[in-house]
Amino acid sequence: MELTETIEQIQQEARAAVLGAADLGALEEVRVKYLGRNGTLRQQYKQLGTLAQEDRPLAGQALNKAISTLERLMEGRKSALAEQAEQQKLQAEALDVTLPGRVPAIGHQHPLLATMEEMIEIFLGLGFMVAEGPEVEDYHHSFEALNYPEYHPAMDEQDTFYVSDQVLLRSQTSTVQIRVMEQQEPPVRIIAPGRCYRRDTVDATHCHTFYQLEGLLVDKGITFADLKGTLEIFARQVFGDRCHVRFRPDFFPFTEPSAEIALSCTLCDGSGCRVCSGTGYLEVGGSGQVDPNVLAGVGYDTEKYTGYAFGVGIERFAMLRHGIDDIRLFYSGDMRFLEQF
Amino acid sequence: MRVPYSWLMEYLQADIGPAELARELTMGGLEVEEIQDWTSEDGKATDQVLVTSVTSNRGDLLSMVGVARHAAAVLGASWQMPQIDMGLLGEPVRGQTVAATEQVRIELANPSGCPRYCGLMMDGVQVADSPDWMAHRLDAAGMRPIANLVDCTNYVMLELGQPLHGFDYSLLQDGHIIVRSATDGEQILTLDQQWRTMTESDLLIADSAGPVAIAGVMGGADTEMSWRTTKILLESAHFDPTSIRKTRLRLGLASEASHRFERVVDPDGTLRALARVAGLLQETAGGSIIGPAADACVADVSPRTIVLRAEHCNRVLGTALSAAQMQQYLEALGFETQIEADGRLQVAVPTYRPDVEREIDLVEEVAIVHGYQKIPTTVPGRLIQSGRLTPAQKFERRARATLRAAGLNETISYSMVSQRDLDRMGYTADAPERDMLALANPGSDEQSHMRSRLLPSLLQAAEHNQHQRVESVRLYEIARVFMPVANDKLPCERLHAAGLMMGPYWSSSWNLPDESREPDFYTVKGTVEQLVGTLGVDDVSYRSSDHPTMHPGQCAEILLGDRSIGIIGKLSSTVQAEYDLDRPAYAFELDLDALIECAGLYSEYQRLPRFPAALRDLAVVVDDTTENTAEALQQTVEEAGGEYLAEVTVFDVYADAERLGEGMKSVALSLTFRRSEGTLTDEQVDQQVSAIVAHLEEKLGAQLRA
Ligand SMILES: [Zn+2]
Repeated sequence: MELTETIEQIQQEARAAVLGAADLGALEEVRVKYLGRNGTLRQQYKQLGTLAQEDRPLAGQALNKAISTLERLMEGRKSALAEQAEQQKLQAEALDVTLPGRVPAIGHQHPLLATMEEMIEIFLGLGFMVAEGPEVEDYHHSFEALNYPEYHPAMDEQDTFYVSDQVLLRSQTSTVQIRVMEQQEPPVRIIAPGRCYRRDTVDATHCHTFYQLEGLLVDKGITFADLKGTLEIFARQVFGDRCHVRFRPDFFPFTEPSAEIALSCTLCDGSGCRVCSGTGYLEVGGSGQVDPNVLAGVGYDTEKYTGYAFGVGIERFAMLRHGIDDIRLFYSGDMRFLEQF
Repeated sequence: MRVPYSWLMEYLQADIGPAELARELTMGGLEVEEIQDWTSEDGKATDQVLVTSVTSNRGDLLSMVGVARHAAAVLGASWQMPQIDMGLLGEPVRGQTVAATEQVRIELANPSGCPRYCGLMMDGVQVADSPDWMAHRLDAAGMRPIANLVDCTNYVMLELGQPLHGFDYSLLQDGHIIVRSATDGEQILTLDQQWRTMTESDLLIADSAGPVAIAGVMGGADTEMSWRTTKILLESAHFDPTSIRKTRLRLGLASEASHRFERVVDPDGTLRALARVAGLLQETAGGSIIGPAADACVADVSPRTIVLRAEHCNRVLGTALSAAQMQQYLEALGFETQIEADGRLQVAVPTYRPDVEREIDLVEEVAIVHGYQKIPTTVPGRLIQSGRLTPAQKFERRARATLRAAGLNETISYSMVSQRDLDRMGYTADAPERDMLALANPGSDEQSHMRSRLLPSLLQAAEHNQHQRVESVRLYEIARVFMPVANDKLPCERLHAAGLMMGPYWSSSWNLPDESREPDFYTVKGTVEQLVGTLGVDDVSYRSSDHPTMHPGQCAEILLGDRSIGIIGKLSSTVQAEYDLDRPAYAFELDLDALIECAGLYSEYQRLPRFPAALRDLAVVVDDTTENTAEALQQTVEEAGGEYLAEVTVFDVYADAERLGEGMKSVALSLTFRRSEGTLTDEQVDQQVSAIVAHLEEKLGAQLRA
C-alpha cells in the first residue's frame, strides 16, 4: 500500500476516534494513540525514509497536513468536550432551590419596646429629651409633689404596690416630671417612657406591670392649645393623617384643666367597631395644664411659666399596631410570640 | 352612678334625647359609660338609664339635681330644683348645741369632724310599701326599694346628693344626740349585724347611752327603723370628708353615704334635704312633724369668692375669650360673677363646688363650658433644642441591637419574683442576691419581691418555652434590678443585661452537623465579648469562677478592671433539671450600667497599615493545668513578643493522651507581626519567634510541636 494511502487511512480512523471520544480522558487516549510520540501517525515519519527521494516531499506534506488537520480536529473536539464536562458539572451541582434558606439567627425586637421606641422618635423630632427616674419611688415624688391630697378618693384610683409607708412602686411615670423639675430650671421639654406598676388582677386586658410615656413641657406661654397641637401631631404620626385626638374633661390632681386623650379609631373611622367598643374612640391616656401647685412645689414662678403634661399607655398602641389581643403575651417570654415581630 | 333619664328630665328643661344628652355630658366632663334599658319588675314601667363615671373631685355630680345643673350649663339650658316646702321645718334653731324641742337636743362635740348636724322629728308615721313612682325610680337608679321610711331617705340622697339617716326615736335612749369622737375600743353593732371596734379618730353619733351610728358610714342596729316604727328622728348632716375616709378605709366599709361624704356634700344643703324628706314622708307615710328642726351648725356656708383674670385664663388655655364670655360660662354653672372695673372677674363659688378653690380651677370651668373641642390647636413656639438621646441612652440601644444581632430575642418579664425563684436557681440561704426589696402588699406569693437579678425571669421563660416544646430558646432582657441600700429608703436601681441560649442556633438547619447547631460556653461568651466590644469597653476580662446556678467547670466571672460585673456559664445539671430543660442551656448576666459608665461613644480611627504583616503559627504542648490557660499563654507570648508583635490569637486547642501524653494539651497560636514604617524581614520575625518559644518553655515548660 502506498504510504499516502496508509496516511489517509490512519487519518480516517483517527478522525472517527476523535469524534467518537466520549470525554476528555478518551480524547487524550486518542491523542496519545495517534499524535503521541509513538502514535501511529507520528510513526509514519519513519516510513518516509523508505520512500524514493522524489516521493518523499509529497508524502511528507500529506503527513504534515494529516497531523495538523487531526490536531485542529482534536482541539475542536476538546473544547466541545470541555464545555460538555462543565455543563455536566454544573448540572451535578444544581440545588433544590425550594429547600429553606439558612436564616441567620438575628434576634427580634419586643413589640412593646419597638412601639415605645417609635413613639420616642416622634417626640425627639419635636424637640423633647428623654428623661428617666426610679421605678421604686418615695411617697413625696409619687403623690405629694403631684398634688395628691393625702386623704382623697383620687388615691383609690392608684392602687399602689407599697414597700413601706414612704416607699412604693411608681404607678405612673408622672413622678419623673418632679425629678426633672427639681434638677432643672425652665424651659423643660421632656418625655419619660418607662415601666410602671399597679395592683391590678392580670387578665387579657389588664396587667400589674405596664409601660407609660409621660410628656412635660414647661416654658413661658405654653397653653392648652399647644397641648392639643402636640398630641394631634403625635396621633397623626402614629396612626396616620386620618387620626385625630378627642379631648374631654377629666380629673388628675397634677393637672388643671385636665383632659382625657382619646384617638379616633382608624379601624372604623369613628363609626364604631369591636376594637373601639363601638364608640369610635380609643382612650389612650390623660393630659392637662400642669397644676400651679406642682410648679410652685418645685420652686417655679407660676406667674411666669405655664406648662402641659400628658401620659399615654404604650401597651394599647402596641396592641393596636400588631393586632395583639392579650396583654399577657408581652410578658410571656414565649419565643413563638417574640419571633413574630 | 345610675341616672334614670326620665327622673333627670324632671329638673332639666332641654329638648334632648338620652343618646345626645349622654354625648354632651361626656364631652362636658361627666362621662356616660353606657345607656341601659330599664324595665320594672312588673313590666309596667320602662326607662333609659345613663350610667355615669364621676371623677373623684366632683361629688356634686352624685345626684339627679347635680347632674341637671351641670347639664344645663353645658347645654345652655335651664334647670330647676324640685318643689320643697321649707316651711315644714318651722323656724330651725341654730347653734353648736341646740335644743329645738323638748324631745330633740343636738350637740356638736367634735365640730371639725361634724360642723353641721340637722335633725327633725316625726310622729305617727306608718310603714308601708313606697308608691310605684318612687319604687321605680329607686330601682332604676340601682337601689332596691324596701319600705317607705328608708326609701324616702334614699330617694332624697339620690335626688339632692345629701345622705340622710332615720333613727327609730323610741329606741334612742332619749332625744339627746351627741356627735363626738369615739373612744378607743368603743364598740357598736352596725346595721349589718357586725360588731365594730372604734378608735379615737372615728366619728360617732351617740345618745346618752352610747353610739347609735358610725357618722356618715353606717347606722347602728339598735336604733334601726323597722315595721313597728312610728316615731322617727331624721338626720341630715355635713361631715369632714377626711374623717369619713379614714374610718371607711379602716373598717373596709363602703356605703352610698360614705361615698358621697368622702367627695364633700354641700354644707348648705342639709336643711333643704331635711324639708324634702319630711315632705315625702308625709306624702307616703303620713304622720306629723314635731318642729322646729334643730340645726346644730358651726359651718361657714357663705360662697367662696375667687378672682379670675381674663388674660390669665386666655394665657393658660390659648384662647381669646372676652371677660363677658367667661362671665356667661361661670354664671351658667351657678357661679355669681361680676366684672370689675379693672377687667377682673369676681366669682362667688357656691358651697356645692368645694373643688373650685383657686383661679386655675375657674380656668378649667371656663374651658369645660366653652368646650375643649373649641379651644384652638397650636404648636408650641419656642423650639429651644433638638431632641436627642443621652450617651447612656444611646449605649442602651446599642446594647439591645448587639444582642439581637447575636441572635437573641428581646423579652420583657415582670420585675417581681420570690425567694423561691432563688431556691430554684440553687442560691444558698445566705447568698447576697437574697437581699431583695419586699413588697408590703404583693399581688401574690410568687411575686413578693423586686428582683435583684434578671436570670430568674429568663429561666422561667426557658421553662415556659420548654413546656411549649419550643426547640430553640434565645432570649435577652435589659431591665432594671433592685438592691436595697442600707440607710437609704430607695433601693439602688441598676440596668442589667441577661441572656439565655438553649437549642439550635439556626432556625432551619438541615444537613448541618449537630455540633455546629448547638450553643456552647464559647457561644455565650462570644456574645458577651461582642457586647463589650460594641460598647467600646477595653478593660474586661474573664476568670474561672463558681456560681450556684452554673456548672462548676464552665462558669466565668466577668471582670471590669478587677471588679466583678457578671457571670457567664452553663447551667448546672441540677438547675437544668429543676426547670425541666432537656437540652444544655447557657446564660449570662451582667451589670450593663457598669459597662455604660465606661463605654466609648465613638471609636478612634487607627491608620490602616501601609506595609504587609508577617504571620506565624505556633503550636506548643503544655501541661493541661488550670494555670496554663489560653490567656496565660497569650500573655507569655506578648511578654516576649517584642515591639512588632501586633496580635496573638488562639486557633486550636486539644488534648490527646496518645499523641501528646497524659495530662498534656496542645495549643495553637497565630501571631501577627507588623512594623508601621517598613516590611519585616524573615530573619527579624524568626528571631522574635525563637525568643517567644524560649520564653514559653522557660516560663510554662511549653514544648514546640514539630
Ligand atoms: Zn373602631
